Amino acid sequence: MNALLLLLVLLPFASAGLTFFAGHRAEVATKGLSVGASGLGLALAAIVAFPRLGDAEPIGQVYASTSAAGPSIELSLYVDQLSAVMLLLAHSVAFLVQVYSLGYLGDDPRYPSYTALVAIFTGAMGVVVTADDLWLLLVGWELMGACSYFLIAHHWELPVARAGAVKAFLMTRTADLGLLFAIILLGIRFDSYRISTIMSGILEGGFARDELWVPAMLLTIAVIGKSAQFPLHTWLPDAMPGPTPISALIHAATMVAAGVFLVARTYPLFLSAPMALNLLAGVAALTMFLGALYALFSDDLKRVLAWSTVSQLAYMFGALAIGAYSAGILHLLAHGAFKALLFLAAGSVVHAVGSTSMSSMGSLREKLPDTFLTMTLGFGALAGVVPLVGFFTKDAVIGASLDAARDGRLVWPWLAWVLFVSAVVTALVTVAYCLRAWLLVFFGAPAPSAEPALTSEPAPRAEPVSLRDASSLGSSGQATEVAAIQESPWSMRAPLYLLAVPTAVGGLVVAYPDLLLGSEVEYEPLHPDVAVGMTILVALTAGVVVWAARRHARTPWRVPVIPHPQVDRVYDVALVRPVRRLASVVRAGDRDVIDAYANGAGSATRGLGWVLRLAQNGNVQGYLMVVVVGAAALAVAAGVLA
Amino acid sequence: MSATELALNGMVAVPVLFALLTGLFRRSEGFAVAIAVLGSLVTLGWSAWVASLSQAGLDGARVDEVWIAAIDVHWSLGVDGISAPLVVMTALIAACCLVSLVRHAPACGSRGNLAVLLLVIEAGCLGCFLAVDMVLFFLFFEVALIPMWFVINSWGDEHDEQGRRRAATRFLIFTVLGSALMVVGFMLVRSIAGTFDIVEIATGRASYDFGSPTALAASILVGLGLAVKTPLWPLHIWLPDAHSKAPTVGSVLLAAVLLKLGAYGLIRFWLPVTDPTWELLVPLVAALSVVAIVYAALACLAQTDLKRLIAYSSVGHMGFVVLGVATFTEGGVQAAVYASVAHGVITGLLFFLAGAIKDRHETPELGQLRVLYGGVPRLSGVFAFAAMASMGLPGLAGFWGEMLAIRSAVEPASALPDTTFTVLAVIAGLGVILTSVYFLTLLRGMLQGTPADPGRDAVVLDVEPLEWVAWSPLVVLTLVLGIMPGVLLSPVGEATRAYFGGL
Amino acid sequence: MPLWWPLLLASLLFAIGVYAVLVRRNAVLVLMGVELMLNAVNINLVAFDAHLRDQLHGGQTFALFVIVIAAAEIGLALAIVLLVFRSHGHIDVDRLRSLADRDLDPSTSSGHRKLDRPEVRR
Repeated sequence: MNALLLLLVLLPFASAGLTFFAGHRAEVATKGLSVGASGLGLALAAIVAFPRLGDAEPIGQVYASTSAAGPSIELSLYVDQLSAVMLLLAHSVAFLVQVYSLGYLGDDPRYPSYTALVAIFTGAMGVVVTADDLWLLLVGWELMGACSYFLIAHHWELPVARAGAVKAFLMTRTADLGLLFAIILLGIRFDSYRISTIMSGILEGGFARDELWVPAMLLTIAVIGKSAQFPLHTWLPDAMPGPTPISALIHAATMVAAGVFLVARTYPLFLSAPMALNLLAGVAALTMFLGALYALFSDDLKRVLAWSTVSQLAYMFGALAIGAYSAGILHLLAHGAFKALLFLAAGSVVHAVGSTSMSSMGSLREKLPDTFLTMTLGFGALAGVVPLVGFFTKDAVIGASLDAARDGRLVWPWLAWVLFVSAVVTALVTVAYCLRAWLLVFFGAPAPSAEPALTSEPAPRAEPVSLRDASSLGSSGQATEVAAIQESPWSMRAPLYLLAVPTAVGGLVVAYPDLLLGSEVEYEPLHPDVAVGMTILVALTAGVVVWAARRHARTPWRVPVIPHPQVDRVYDVALVRPVRRLASVVRAGDRDVIDAYANGAGSATRGLGWVLRLAQNGNVQGYLMVVVVGAAALAVAAGVLA
Repeated sequence: MSATELALNGMVAVPVLFALLTGLFRRSEGFAVAIAVLGSLVTLGWSAWVASLSQAGLDGARVDEVWIAAIDVHWSLGVDGISAPLVVMTALIAACCLVSLVRHAPACGSRGNLAVLLLVIEAGCLGCFLAVDMVLFFLFFEVALIPMWFVINSWGDEHDEQGRRRAATRFLIFTVLGSALMVVGFMLVRSIAGTFDIVEIATGRASYDFGSPTALAASILVGLGLAVKTPLWPLHIWLPDAHSKAPTVGSVLLAAVLLKLGAYGLIRFWLPVTDPTWELLVPLVAALSVVAIVYAALACLAQTDLKRLIAYSSVGHMGFVVLGVATFTEGGVQAAVYASVAHGVITGLLFFLAGAIKDRHETPELGQLRVLYGGVPRLSGVFAFAAMASMGLPGLAGFWGEMLAIRSAVEPASALPDTTFTVLAVIAGLGVILTSVYFLTLLRGMLQGTPADPGRDAVVLDVEPLEWVAWSPLVVLTLVLGIMPGVLLSPVGEATRAYFGGL
Repeated sequence: MPLWWPLLLASLLFAIGVYAVLVRRNAVLVLMGVELMLNAVNINLVAFDAHLRDQLHGGQTFALFVIVIAAAEIGLALAIVLLVFRSHGHIDVDRLRSLADRDLDPSTSSGHRKLDRPEVRR
C-alpha cells in the first residue's frame, strides 16, 4: 500500500515528463497518454483512498530523509480520512477535466504542454494532500501556483491572460511567505517538520491559549492568499482568461480549496490559537458577502462563477473558523463537485456561443439540452435548493454558525452573529445571481447585437476556444462568425453527467458523514428549523427575481456601475507604483552614486597625475632649482641633527 | 605519489596540460576546440574521482609539501564535503562551455585561443577550491582572474568595443584591488597564528587570539577582498558591466564559477578568522547581504538589457549565500554551499540561454525581444523553466538554498543578535517576492505578447542538438537538486562539523 | 693668509655661478655659470690643500682633474648649444621645453601653454 501511495504521487509527474518529451511528435499518443495516466491515477487514488475512509487507521511512511542542521526534511506521506477525500476529489476532477479537454482543446497546437502542465498540477495537488512533511507540502503548494500561472497564460496572446497570470501568481506567492515563515517557526518550536508529530505535540502539549498565535496567523495569511479571500480576493476573477477546464480544475475544485485543506490539516494549531480563528471568521464574513455582490452584477459568465467561488470558499472558512470542521470539509467536497460541473458546463456554453459575455447568450435551452440539464442541477446546488447536495452542506454551515453565535467557545460571539447574518444574506444573494445567470443564459430573447457594457468591468471578450479563434480576434475582442450553435462533443458532455451525479445525490452522503470522515469527528446536529427557514427564504428570493425578470426584457435589474474592486487600486498606489519608482531610483543610484565612486576613483587618479605632471614643464632651470633647494635643505637638516 | 596526491595535483594539472596542448594546435580551430572539449571532459571525470575521495575532514584527502620555505608557503591542497560539490560544478560548467564552443563561434577572435584561456581559468578556479594554504589560494585566485580580462576584452560584445574594454578593465582593477587587500589580511593572519595553513587555524590546532588588535583588521581586510569577488553590495558595481559585455561562455564562467570563489573564500578563510562576538562586523555583513538581495531585485526590475538583468539577479542570489555565511551556523554554511551550487547551475543555464537569444536576435535589448514563445518555443520553454528555478520555486534547485539561508537567519549563532537577524530574514523573504516580480515581468515582456505580423520577422532557429547537449546536464541537475536536496546537504553538513569543530 | 679669505672668495664665486645657472636665459651664460662654480670649487680645493699642508697635494691634484673635466664638459655643452641654435634659431633655455610631459594631441590637453614646435633645418 505504501508503494502504491508513492506511485500515486509520482505517476502524474512521470506522465508530464513523457508528454514534454514526446508531445509534439505524436498527437494521438499524447492524448492517450494524458487521459490514460490520469485515469490510472484516479484508479490508484481510489485504491489508496477508499480503505482510509470512515473509521480506518491512517497510513504513513517516510520514504527518504535528509538532515540539514536542525530537524530533518523528509519525503514522508500520510493518508487519513481528510487526505483520502481530498485525493478522490482532486484525481476525479482532474480525470474529468482531461477527458473534457479532449473536446475543448483537442486541436489546440499547444495541447501537449497544456496537458503536461495539468498532469504536473495534479501531481502537486496529490503531494499537498498527502504530505506529512511541511516542506514537502510547501513544494506542492507553490508548484500548484506555478502551474496555475502557466495555464492561465495558455492563451498568452491576450493581454488579459498575461496580466491575470502574473497577478494570480504574485498574490499567491506573496501570501506563501506566511507559510514559509510558519514552517520555520513550527520547526524551531517542535524540533520536527512532520505535521503528524507537530499536531500531536499541540494536542498533548498543554499550550496556553493563543501561545502559538504567530504561526497560526502566518498560516491564515497564506490561506487567505491561496483561497482568494479579502483582501487578496481580486486575483481569482482575473484568472478567468485561462481555458475553462483550468478554471474548473484549479480555480474551483482543487487549488483554491487547498487553503481550506491546510486549515483543516493543521486544525489543532488553529484551535489552540483562537485569535487566528477570529481573523478567519471576520475575513470569511466579509468575503462571502462581497463575492456574492460582485457576482450579482457581473456580465461575464465565468466571472460570475469566479466570484461565486470566492464567496463559497468563505463559507468553508467560516465553518472552520467556528469549529464546524465536518461542515467545512463536506461543503468543500460538495462545492468541488458542483462548481466543477458549473465551470465545465459554462465551457460548453462558451464553446458553442464563442463568447463569455452573457449579453451574447440567451434561449440556449433548446440548442444545448444536456448542458442545460446539468447546469440547472449545478446552479440549484449552488443556490441551495432541496434536495441537491448544496442544500445540505450550506445549511450545515449556517446551522453551525447559529450554534456558535448562541453558545460559541472559539470565536467572539458578536463575530459569530455577524458570520451567521452574513451567511444567511449571502445565501439569498447566491440564489439571486444563480437565477439571473440561469435565466440570462438559457431563457429570454436570443442575444441582440453587442450591447454597450453597463459595468466598468473589463470589456467582455470572446474566449478563444482554439488558436484559430485567437488569431481571428483582432483588436476588437469580439468573436467573428462562429459555427451555428450546437451541443458539445461527447467528450465534453460525459464529464458533465458524471459530475451531475454527486451534485444530485450527494446529499445522501452528507446525511451519513461518518462514512467519510470517521466517527471521531464532531458532527453538527441537523437543524430542521434552519433548513425550513432557509428553504422558505430561498423560494421567496427566487420569486422576487423571476418577477423582476418578467418586468424587464432581458436583465432582471439594471446593473449599476460597480467599480472594479477598489482593493486593486489600493495595491496599485501603495505597492506597485512605489516599487517601480524605487526600481528606477535604484538603477539611477547604481549609475550615478556607486558608479560615480568607481569612476571617481579613476578620475581622481588621473587628476592627481595631471597635477603632478605640471611639475614636468620641461624647464631645466626649474628642475635644477628643486635640486639646489633640496640639497640646501638636506645640508641644513644634517647640520641641525648632527 | 599516492592516489590522493595524484588526484589532487592532477586536478589542477590536467586542465593546464590540455590548455598547453590546445595552444599548440590553435591555428586549426576545429581541432583545437576538439582537444579542449576532450580536456574538459577528462577534467570532469577527474573531478568526480576527486569528489569520491573527499572525506568529512579536510585532513582526510590532503597534499602538503613545503614549497617556498623562506616565506613558509606550502603547496597544500585538500578536498572535503564543502569543496567537493564546487569542484564538480566547476568542471561541469567548464565542460558545458567548451562543448557549446564547438558549433558556436564568438564573432571576434579565434576559438582556439578562447578555449586555451577557458581551460586556464578552469585550472585556476579548481586550484582555488582545493587550496588550503592561504598564499596558494591567493595565487590561484589571480590565475583565475587575469585570463578573464582577455576573454572579456577580445571576445566580448562585438558591437561595443569601448564598452567591453571598459568592462574588462574595471573588473580586473576592482578584483585585483580586492585581492591585494585580501593578501595583506592573510599576512596579518599569519602574524597572529604563525602559519598560512587555514585548517590549523580553523580546527584550533594553531592558536588564534581573537583579542589581539590586528585580528579585527585581518578579518576586515580578508572580508573586503572576498566581498569584492562575491560580490557584496556596495562593491558589486563591476559585475553588471562585466557579465553583460562578456561573451556567452565568459558570462557563464563568471557567474557560475568565479563568483563562487568569493563565497567559498568567505566560508573557508573568513569564518575561521572572524569572531562573532565582535559587535558590529558580522551583523553588518548580514545587513549588507540583505540589502544586496532587495537592491538587486529592484535594479533588475528597471533593466532594459537581458544579460544585465541576469547579472543583477546574480548579485541578489549571492546575497543569500552571504546571509547564510554570516549566521555562523552549520545550517548557514549548508545554505551557502547549496545556494552557490544551485546558483551556478541555474544562472549558468540562464546565461547560456540569454546568449542563445542574443545571438539569434542580434540584440540583448528587451525592448526588441518580444513574443519568443511564438518564434522559438523550445528555447522559451527552457528559459521559463530556468526563470522559475532562479526565482526560487520550491521543487527546483534554487529554493533550498534560499530557504535554508532564511531559516538559519531566524536562528543565528548564539553570539549574534537575534532580533536583528529575524528582521533581516523577513526582509530577505520580501526579496524573494521581488525576485518573482522581475522574473515574471521579464517572462511577460519577452516570451509572451501579442504576435505581430508573422511574415515580417526573419525565421529564427530553435534549439539545436548541440545546444541540447550542452544545456541538458544543467537542466537535469536543477531538477535533481530540487527534488533530492540530501545529495548535497549531508556531505556539506559533515564537513562543516569537522572543519569548524562546532560553530 | 687666513683660511677664510679664499673660502669667502670661493663661496661668492659659487653663489654667482648658481645664480647664473638658475636665472640666466641664454644657454652660453648658463654654461659660464657652470664654469664659475667649477672654478670656485678649484679655489676651495687649493686653499684647503695649502692650509692642511697635504704631503700628497691631493687638493691640487683634484683641482687638475676638475679643470680637465670642465674643459671636456664645456666642449660637449657648447657643441649641443650650437646644434640647438641651428635647429631652433635661439638658445633661450626658457623656451626649450620639448621634454615637457604634455599630451601629444594639443586639443586634448588642458591648460598647457602653446609651445614651440621644432623645425628641423638642415
